Amino acid sequence: MGVTILQQYPVPENKTGTFVIDLLTKRLLALGATQQGQFLVDCESYLSLPQMGPTKTVHVLHNSEQPASVFSILESGSKNIHVVADSLFDLLMMKLSNIYTSKKQTKMESKGTRLELGDFCVKLGSVTMNQSFKGVLIEVEYRPCVMANAVWGLLREFLQGLLGPSVPVQPPQHFLSRMNEIYTPIDTIYQYLEHFSAFRKSTGLRSAV
Amino acid sequence: MANSVNISVEAPIENQIQEITYDGQEIYQAPLSMSENLARLAQKIDFSKTEDEFCNIKKEGESSLDVKSEEDKEPGYQSSLWPWDSVRNKLRNALTEVCVLADVLSIAKEKRYMVLDPIQAEQIESRPMVQVYGRKKALSAAGAVLLNGVERLRASETMRMTRNMPDFHIDLLRLRQNWRLKKVSNTIVGDLSYRTAGSKFSQTGVFEVTKAPEEQIAQAMSMNATGPAPSALRVTVPPELQGVAFISVLCQKEQEDVVTATLSSSALNCPGTLPGEGAELHWQQKLEAAQNVLFCKELFARLAAEAVQLDASIPHMVVGNQIMATVLPGIQLLIGLCHNNGQNNNNPEGVKSEGSGNKSEHDHVLEHSLHQLLRAVHHSNTHHPFPHPASGPLGPSKRRSLAGPMAADRYELLEMSKEQSLLEQIIQQAQHFFMRRRSEYVLDTIAKEVKDPLIVSHWNALNSPTQSCVKINIMAYGYDAVCRTSLVVHVGEKTLKCICRDGKVRHLSYELQELRDLIYCQIYQHQMTAVQAVGRCMGWQLLASSSHLGSGPVEPLGNASSCLLASPNGDRMIAIRCEPSVGIQVFIAQSPRKDFFVSELVQDKKWENLGGAFKEVKLEKMEGKNFLNKMELLMACLSSPL
Repeated sequence: MGVTILQQYPVPENKTGTFVIDLLTKRLLALGATQQGQFLVDCESYLSLPQMGPTKTVHVLHNSEQPASVFSILESGSKNIHVVADSLFDLLMMKLSNIYTSKKQTKMESKGTRLELGDFCVKLGSVTMNQSFKGVLIEVEYRPCVMANAVWGLLREFLQGLLGPSVPVQPPQHFLSRMNEIYTPIDTIYQYLEHFSAFRKSTGLRSAV
Repeated sequence: MANSVNISVEAPIENQIQEITYDGQEIYQAPLSMSENLARLAQKIDFSKTEDEFCNIKKEGESSLDVKSEEDKEPGYQSSLWPWDSVRNKLRNALTEVCVLADVLSIAKEKRYMVLDPIQAEQIESRPMVQVYGRKKALSAAGAVLLNGVERLRASETMRMTRNMPDFHIDLLRLRQNWRLKKVSNTIVGDLSYRTAGSKFSQTGVFEVTKAPEEQIAQAMSMNATGPAPSALRVTVPPELQGVAFISVLCQKEQEDVVTATLSSSALNCPGTLPGEGAELHWQQKLEAAQNVLFCKELFARLAAEAVQLDASIPHMVVGNQIMATVLPGIQLLIGLCHNNGQNNNNPEGVKSEGSGNKSEHDHVLEHSLHQLLRAVHHSNTHHPFPHPASGPLGPSKRRSLAGPMAADRYELLEMSKEQSLLEQIIQQAQHFFMRRRSEYVLDTIAKEVKDPLIVSHWNALNSPTQSCVKINIMAYGYDAVCRTSLVVHVGEKTLKCICRDGKVRHLSYELQELRDLIYCQIYQHQMTAVQAVGRCMGWQLLASSSHLGSGPVEPLGNASSCLLASPNGDRMIAIRCEPSVGIQVFIAQSPRKDFFVSELVQDKKWENLGGAFKEVKLEKMEGKNFLNKMELLMACLSSPL
């Protein structure tokens, strides 16, 4: 698993999400990328019942890149605890349904095509919340490197080439604290969670972050 | 649209043709009317037949049928007899008898003219003495049978006591301690297969245990007075498992002619037979041999199935009892199943000697490896990875269980699902075995050829069937503390990985020449660094050195390297040029030129200090044990104030 950066691409006012995705796909194919199938990242949130005390949220995420695993992040107050488990974890959550209720209407998904260009792996995802389109998320992974410190410049350059000047100078917030640590798949999931939460809060389409 | 065609459907003619008239018209025999048909069937009924007398009456029935057929042979159906006549007569007789019976019964009921009285049955005479005699005879017969049995037991017991014969039950106990036995109706059967150890082979290994006849034991004991007592058991092993078998594994150069390869390998007999032929063989040896035969059969069947299924670049060949696989270009691996049934072989003498020759080349290490691989398969069949509940033994492997929490991605999961078959594993081991032998050969040859720096190779004692390491030290005799070049070579299955001291990693292929070239280049590099190190020791200064010289003719192997050393007081210089193909050339120069003469152009005497031309030193005429020694002496000689 290499260092992965997640970037939201703002959809212009009078265009649709599919148009944006098509445009980016064409750009990548012109660069020489090859399509390698589909990907899916989805997130479901569970709220604890009031009689358990202060409300805690459990987010359960799946990533098609790691098909055997289920990621879950527990937000209690200020702390975030994550667990990476086998796919049987979903069944466990079902058993806990009377303690943690799922908020079905806020199930988020990012789905789209996966393209590979040399050592880079680009995923263009359209984010939907209950079948209503919310925005476009682009995930770029540089496979050989696992240290964020070493590769941030390269990733930023790549993103700039692909998306234009809208790429921020600073790495995302999640990275800032762990630039010197080895990158693990859960870090990607944290980024997804951040973006998904932002998508949830906004009504209508999101403008650039 | 085609015109419609009328099709008529008719039943075939059932009636026989009686006559065909001259104008072609057929006259049929009229079919029997229903009453005529019934009459015909009624004639066939035989009223005199009863259930008890069926057999006797059958003959009468046949005769009556004959009579009837004679009647039918009469021309046409215009018989004078009315067909119902016999039926009427029989019915009338039956009616008469029934009437008579009814009359008798009614008369007897009135009890006036006829009475029915019971009659006592006849008394049977009782003859007690006859009964007694009969019982006595029966009892004596039973007693005789029992006495017979007791006599046999007593005789065998006394024989055992007096002659120290082996006891059947003690032997059975020993057998039971080593093998699984079961009593099935009258016989004792055992199982010698590896089924409980995890084998899934379809062939069963069932053997039968019987008691050895006493005469045979007595005979064996009398013949073999000093040896161990024969056992009282006899073990019968299924015929396909009799004898001795082993898997022969041969690595050999590829035969050009495939036919000769198969012919010579079909002569692979198993000359080894069990010592002591026949039934006198102890049951333990017999059973162990049979179990080995079964194991070899399972192993070979598995390898043959894999050889057919696997998709290799050069396909594997399975011919009869042999599998031929290509390990490296030019090297073949032959795996054969040799089974000597214990029956006499009809092979001529010459072939037998060839066979024995082949057996000596057979690689025992690879055979043992194959055995271990199959045992590992058995082991994994029974030992399922933890953690699992006792009730659910099967489950994913440990790596797969960890894949979830460790967030393994698709490539890792895909790799996890690939399993290596037995044949692939043994081919890899054979490839590594060859690579190791070749590398050993190369290193030994170089060590023998090159005497000047000593090549010392240390092979690691711990290695795996598919990887070994060797550490090569290049040093000069007497100067090993001054300079030593070392490199590590990892021998894999098809490649070599060389790691030199400067950190460069080179991957070599299976060709011998590449390793040889590399070692030669390293040797000459060593000479160069060693000379510089010696110079440092002697106080000489290194003016310049280059490891990849661009001047001079192009080298066929590697690059030329050179260095320039200056003496401590600066008046002498040594230049060394080292080429892997040509060798080492040494030149010396002197600073104040001896041959400086003032001329018109160059008038000042000071120009003699520029240094003279280089003159070559004849190294082979110099004194010194090796190159470094010679260089040291040279430097010592040139350092002296003279």
